[in-house]
Amino acid sequence: MPGGQAIQVDGLRVAFGDFVAIPGLSFIARYGEIHGVIGPNGAGKTTLLDVITGKTRPKGGKVLLDGRIDLLRLSEPEIALAGVGRKFQKPSVFDALSVRENLELALRLEPRSIRAEVLRWGDARRAGRVAEVLAEIGLASVAERLAGTLAHGQKQWLEIGMLLMQRPRLLMLDEPVAGMTEQETAHTADLVRRLKAPDRAVLVIEHDMAFVEEIADRVTVLHEGAPIFEGGMAAARANDRVREVYLGR
Amino acid sequence: MAANDATGRVERPGLFRAVAAMMAAIAVALPVLGGPLAAGPAGISPYFANIVGQIATFALLAIALDLIWGYAGILSLGHGLFFAFGGYLVAMHMLKAGYAYNGVTPDVMTFMGWTELPAHWWGFESAPYALLLILLLPGLLAFGYGYFSFRSRVAGVYFAIITQALTYVAMLLMFRNDTGFGGNNGMTGFSTLLGFDVGAQATVVGLATVSVLVTLGVYLACGRLMRSPFGRILIAIRDDEDRLRFLGYDTLWPKLAVWTLSAVIAAIAGALYVPQVGIINPKLLSPELSIEIAVWVALGGRGALAGAVIGASLISALKFWLTGFAPDLWPFILAGVVLAIVTTLPNGLLDLRLPSLRARTARAAVAHAGARAGARAGARAGARAGARAGARAAARAGEPAAETGQGG
Amino acid sequence: MARRFAAILSLLCLLVPGGAAALDRAAILTEICSGDFRAQQTALESLAGAGAEAGREGALWARAVVQGFEGRDLRCGADAAFIDRSDGLVSAETLEPASPGGDLSAPSVNLRLRATAASAGFVLALFTEESAEARLRAAGRLDRRREAVSAAVLTAALETETDPAVAQAIGDIRTSLLLRDADPARRAEAIAAIAADATLRNRTTIAEALANEPDPAVQAAGKAALAEIDRTLAIGNALATLYSGASYASVLVLAALGLAIIFGLMGVINLAQGELIMVGAYATWFTQEAIRIVLPAALDWYLFIAIPVSFAAAALVGIAIEATVIRRLYDRPLMTLLATWAISLLLINAVRVGIGTQNLEFHQPGYVSGGFPVVGDFIMTSNRLFAIAIAAAAFFAVLALIRFTTLGMNMRAVTQNRAMAGAAGVDTRQTDRLAFGLGSGLAGLAGLALSPLYNVNPTMGTGFIVDSFMVVVLGGVGSLAGAVVAAFGIGQINVAIEPVYGAVAAKVIVLLLVILFIQRRPEGLFAPKGRR
Repeated sequence: MPGGQAIQVDGLRVAFGDFVAIPGLSFIARYGEIHGVIGPNGAGKTTLLDVITGKTRPKGGKVLLDGRIDLLRLSEPEIALAGVGRKFQKPSVFDALSVRENLELALRLEPRSIRAEVLRWGDARRAGRVAEVLAEIGLASVAERLAGTLAHGQKQWLEIGMLLMQRPRLLMLDEPVAGMTEQETAHTADLVRRLKAPDRAVLVIEHDMAFVEEIADRVTVLHEGAPIFEGGMAAARANDRVREVYLGR
Repeated sequence: MAANDATGRVERPGLFRAVAAMMAAIAVALPVLGGPLAAGPAGISPYFANIVGQIATFALLAIALDLIWGYAGILSLGHGLFFAFGGYLVAMHMLKAGYAYNGVTPDVMTFMGWTELPAHWWGFESAPYALLLILLLPGLLAFGYGYFSFRSRVAGVYFAIITQALTYVAMLLMFRNDTGFGGNNGMTGFSTLLGFDVGAQATVVGLATVSVLVTLGVYLACGRLMRSPFGRILIAIRDDEDRLRFLGYDTLWPKLAVWTLSAVIAAIAGALYVPQVGIINPKLLSPELSIEIAVWVALGGRGALAGAVIGASLISALKFWLTGFAPDLWPFILAGVVLAIVTTLPNGLLDLRLPSLRARTARAAVAHAGARAGARAGARAGARAGARAGARAAARAGEPAAETGQGG
Repeated sequence: MARRFAAILSLLCLLVPGGAAALDRAAILTEICSGDFRAQQTALESLAGAGAEAGREGALWARAVVQGFEGRDLRCGADAAFIDRSDGLVSAETLEPASPGGDLSAPSVNLRLRATAASAGFVLALFTEESAEARLRAAGRLDRRREAVSAAVLTAALETETDPAVAQAIGDIRTSLLLRDADPARRAEAIAAIAADATLRNRTTIAEALANEPDPAVQAAGKAALAEIDRTLAIGNALATLYSGASYASVLVLAALGLAIIFGLMGVINLAQGELIMVGAYATWFTQEAIRIVLPAALDWYLFIAIPVSFAAAALVGIAIEATVIRRLYDRPLMTLLATWAISLLLINAVRVGIGTQNLEFHQPGYVSGGFPVVGDFIMTSNRLFAIAIAAAAFFAVLALIRFTTLGMNMRAVTQNRAMAGAAGVDTRQTDRLAFGLGSGLAGLAGLALSPLYNVNPTMGTGFIVDSFMVVVLGGVGSLAGAVVAAFGIGQINVAIEPVYGAVAAKVIVLLLVILFIQRRPEGLFAPKGRR
């Protein structure tokens, strides 16, 4: 499985009315890798995530999970259940639920039916898994607090924890360190590295070059909805075209 | 689209139990003070018992709305539709039963010039059949409408206004005589309910007691349901529905379930209300009543069933009292209450408890509550607010900073 | 109108041979005095036609002679006739005082001649009476005394008639005269002439005439004419429906434009929008009352003076609402529903207590009363035209404002991305407030536009909010063109369904359509393009 195609995007075209956000994008992320996607504002990064998670419907192209599941035919919940997890740019946790409840919600033991899920909520596996993840994201001490009362960084980690509960095959992080202190960024980098698994592809969308360099095995540079570079971060820094459009003259 | 006006609070167990105990006490006191001890010093008149019974049905209606608005974040400005639906069905039952068993000719037949009741009145003399329809029809209507709305992701303000339009249209329909439900005059002149004479003192007190008991039962059951994982899912929908969908929950079904449940509870409330007031007409479908339900819940505090009961009881008690001697004043007071809530008490009366709580209890509690509100305010601004700043924000309770923090 | 006259005139040329002959006063008087009943009859008929042939002056003379004949004041001499007046004899030919030479005798009269004279008197009264009331009375009597009347003379009377009621009465008599002509060909022509003006009233006239029509050719012609009228009437009715739909739609457009601007900008549905319409209508009424006191001469123009007043009144109320309540609720759109509802409750009851619940009386100046007949029974009424014109002008003004002014640019920017616009230096607070004022002011204009059309009372606004919101939903949030298209769609559906299935069914169908529609296009007809 490592090295296999987790997500394959082919000839993707996205337009909002007359505005073409992505004219034609092809792109592959592989299992076992952390894949950074960078690019200036308006490069189409968030739009790409919106398409993969089913939030935005493209005008054309193909998006295959695991080389066989056509994500464009599925609804948002179905895509999530198929193994795609997403962390939003602005921390999205359920403010009025406790940290524990947030994590509990993220685990789907009965993907086929919410009713079955609710009826088997007390399953021991859920409690066990929640305890594991609480420890992993370092929020065990605040497990009973309402998520809305957490600090910004803690919310980000909680959201990553929720993704861990999901055990996604494709994990997509949208600017996970935006607005974080240096310490929090370091903790997050640590968390993201731990997300890496042989049967999982991690897609990180980020502005922070240093952060991407620290965690990513491979980067793709987007510009106006099209990839202009793919490879290692060091090579990206050296690439003339990349320097031109992104790093500045 | 529109952000939900979530409260960010969960139910307070102490308050919940206190309100339950209060209702239980009323349920015991009513039949005793209105029955054997009615002539005694603490005895109550059937009139008073009747008002308590009516208020109980309003509280039940408020619980129904709180389920969807307070928990799932879906505001309905059309719950009068389901309330009236239940009311019309029970009115049909009482008239038909009176006609079939006691030979009382309904007024409807007289002024419509009918020699017999139309086909859709078939079987209504049977109480089990009527009860079945009271549970089934409003539920079906809610399910159908909810399915189409939620499936196409109609939410927020859109949903609220369309529910109001639906109720408005229903009102127009019912105002017509040819719809076959009494038109403008509605239905009145009920004689019997389940074999009891509806005018008798014992029946009045009994109905009031049953209303309180049903409300208490629904209150306890819903409280339990909202504390269950299903309730957590609803709160998650209210807080961030998109996030929940990306966790693999098709939110259509939980929303549809609670929406339908809410409609059925509202219909039960209507079915208890109409025998007590002795009349139903299309005014029950007016937009004003439906919005007033939302005002009860907003006053009591959304997301807390105890708040819904308190809000409904306070406002309707005030209305009963005021319409006695200053009916013209009522709209001004109602409008004033709404404006006061929305501008200064985003969580309704629940907000009033904070300062008093703070004054009386240890500082630790203050710091905790402050950290909550502050962190929320901070998150909205995108800043990393510390507990200290939060405490400061919370200390200025009722000011805009804390308010926006809780408004997310 | 002109076509109708032309047709009837050409018809009359056939009906009255030699009608244009000059009035020979001496010959007529000779005939009257002849003692031969048939000649006298002819003379009276000629006198009756005097108005048509010799104008008002001739009619005055003829009337004097007829009155003399009727009142037995006419005196016949050997070669001249005189009228015996209280102050002496006058010449019947010149009406100048004169002295007769010879014996005088009153002309002989029989019952039939007397009736003819009375009829002629009424005909002549149509030409000579100064007051419209007297002419109308004469026409009424003439309807029962037709001995001396011809279609030709009535046509002449119609030409000079200025009062519409009298003209209507004369026209009716003429029509029935024409339809009872002995000659089938002329009856057919009469039917054709009447059918040229396709109104429901004329259709009834023809249908009644056909019921007693023996001649098959006339029957056939009549049937054809009826079919033609029916076609025209159908077109007219369709146009009338469209027109009344358009006028309802223009009030909706004004209310919904404001709603759409506010909703697009702030995500706020202003449930008090209907009451802002009411504020605009009351402002119009106050303007009228103020002008009545200060400048009564300009009263007719109060509707135009009220344009800025009603806009400003509603805009100020709107800005006050925004500043005191809405401002605190930007992140809580559901609460704004309750808040704006409470405000609408306040406004309704404040007006109810302060001014009263009765419908306000509005002066109806000439430019909003009456109308222009177009085709069939379709009359383009001025009050509806006024509403449409106000809506159209306001729509283009708003369009220009949004496209070309700084406020418009700021509004567009904030609608698209509030945070970004704020970061780019747009004062979003002020933009919100002004936009709220604009949206409210448009509702005020709606109140002005509907004041000549609908009842104005404290609860007038409540019926509009549901329809206005449906317009916003259908049209798409923040889309002005969408609001117009949707308003016209809903307005037309309302007025098209109402006459057939009733007003309630119209509302039900509109609501169902909207619910079905947002199943397929949740963003509305003209969703603004872009990332959301």
